[in-house]
Amino acid sequence: MLVPGALALLPEHASLTDPLTDLRAAAVAAVRWLGPEAEVVGDAQGERVAAALMDAAGVRRGGAAAYLVVGNGSAKRSEKAPGHLDERSFGFDDALRDALVAGDLAGMDWSLADDLWASVDGLRRAVDLIGGPATVDYDDDPYGVQYWVMRWGS
Amino acid sequence: MTLRLGRQEFADDRTLMMAIVNRTPDSFYDKGATWAEDKAFDRVAQVVDEGAEMVDIGGIKAAPGEEIDEVEEKRRVVDFVARVRAAYPSLVVSVDTWRASVGEAVCQAGADVLNDAWGGADPGLVDVAAKHDVALICTHTGGAVPRTRPYRVEYDDVVRSAIDDTVAYAERALAAGVARESLVIDPAHDFGKNTFHSLEITRRLDEMVATGWPVLVSLSNKDFVGESLDLPVGERLTGTLAATAVCALAGARIYRVHEVVETRQVVDMVNTIAGRRLPARAIRGLQ
Repeated sequence: MLVPGALALLPEHASLTDPLTDLRAAAVAAVRWLGPEAEVVGDAQGERVAAALMDAAGVRRGGAAAYLVVGNGSAKRSEKAPGHLDERSFGFDDALRDALVAGDLAGMDWSLADDLWASVDGLRRAVDLIGGPATVDYDDDPYGVQYWVMRWGS
Repeated sequence: MTLRLGRQEFADDRTLMMAIVNRTPDSFYDKGATWAEDKAFDRVAQVVDEGAEMVDIGGIKAAPGEEIDEVEEKRRVVDFVARVRAAYPSLVVSVDTWRASVGEAVCQAGADVLNDAWGGADPGLVDVAAKHDVALICTHTGGAVPRTRPYRVEYDDVVRSAIDDTVAYAERALAAGVARESLVIDPAHDFGKNTFHSLEITRRLDEMVATGWPVLVSLSNKDFVGESLDLPVGERLTGTLAATAVCALAGARIYRVHEVVETRQVVDMVNTIAGRRLPARAIRGLQ
């Protein structure tokens, strides 16, 4: 399954009012769905986000039966986005969404990922782990960053 | 320590705004603006709307002036306390009085707190607080008689005096049966103190906080602010808020104020900087 690497999900960045209420709820529920153990696939920041979500969901690190992939689309989807607006974000994110939903990342063109501040390290390493149609639990860009929570398999 | 103020309890990390509501024709800041009962009631509605957790109702101005006997003091505050109690069941109602007889009457009318701004001048007040299980604010006046101004008062160490006297007062109240979680200490800026004393109390407030008793500060528009900045009443808000920030950083729990909104923002901001309060909603750079 996939969650985004938003650092606001870390407990040390908690606010009185959670700015990511819906995303957090969807992510924790999906991580819990993984079962008692899961491996993490993501960059260093993504690993920390995964650890926090696993703590919240009561899922241990380990096993090879389930994978928690950390990654997200572009961070340039609006003028207020971290990377300001880059119109190419929409096409890139649409293509990435289609590939994720189909569970087939083999043909994905990653060349714009760095330009668009997309966090795809985990996704590129998970190409062989993701397969089959996805269940989409969350698909939104509340702060100009494209987030998805998706699950594959049963 | 969890604070219990009459009907309400507040966790350790809560700071409280105690809004001043004068039932006087001559208090220094508002000059009788809420002397009429309906005006005072409007003031209560306003400060509740602004988020004040407490009101502090007073019937006698602190400075010297016309003698107000206990009959007149009761006439000014008791029915008003009952009216506020009925209208705002969850608001903490404090009454600023040093007289045990007035304390008894306002407790019967529904007060939650007795704010003894004159530091135990009437020894019977602790028994009233104990009898009604209300909270008591134990202030330091350096032995000043109610409604007198300081004149050539000196201390070996004003902070030591404030700590010793307020803690002794709190322990006397405890022995009289007031609940430990219902006792608050207040160094009482400007009461029995010159400006240098009040500045030192502010600068060293952490020493009072370190006693473990919850600390109330009453800074609003006072003369030590005015003398520090050479500003008259009415132009002391910024200085008041600066003093508020220093006290908030030291860990004061209750703020007796004229201006609720501004003080709340300063206290929340300082406590957020200090790591005692979470930001309201932080997403910048963390998306």
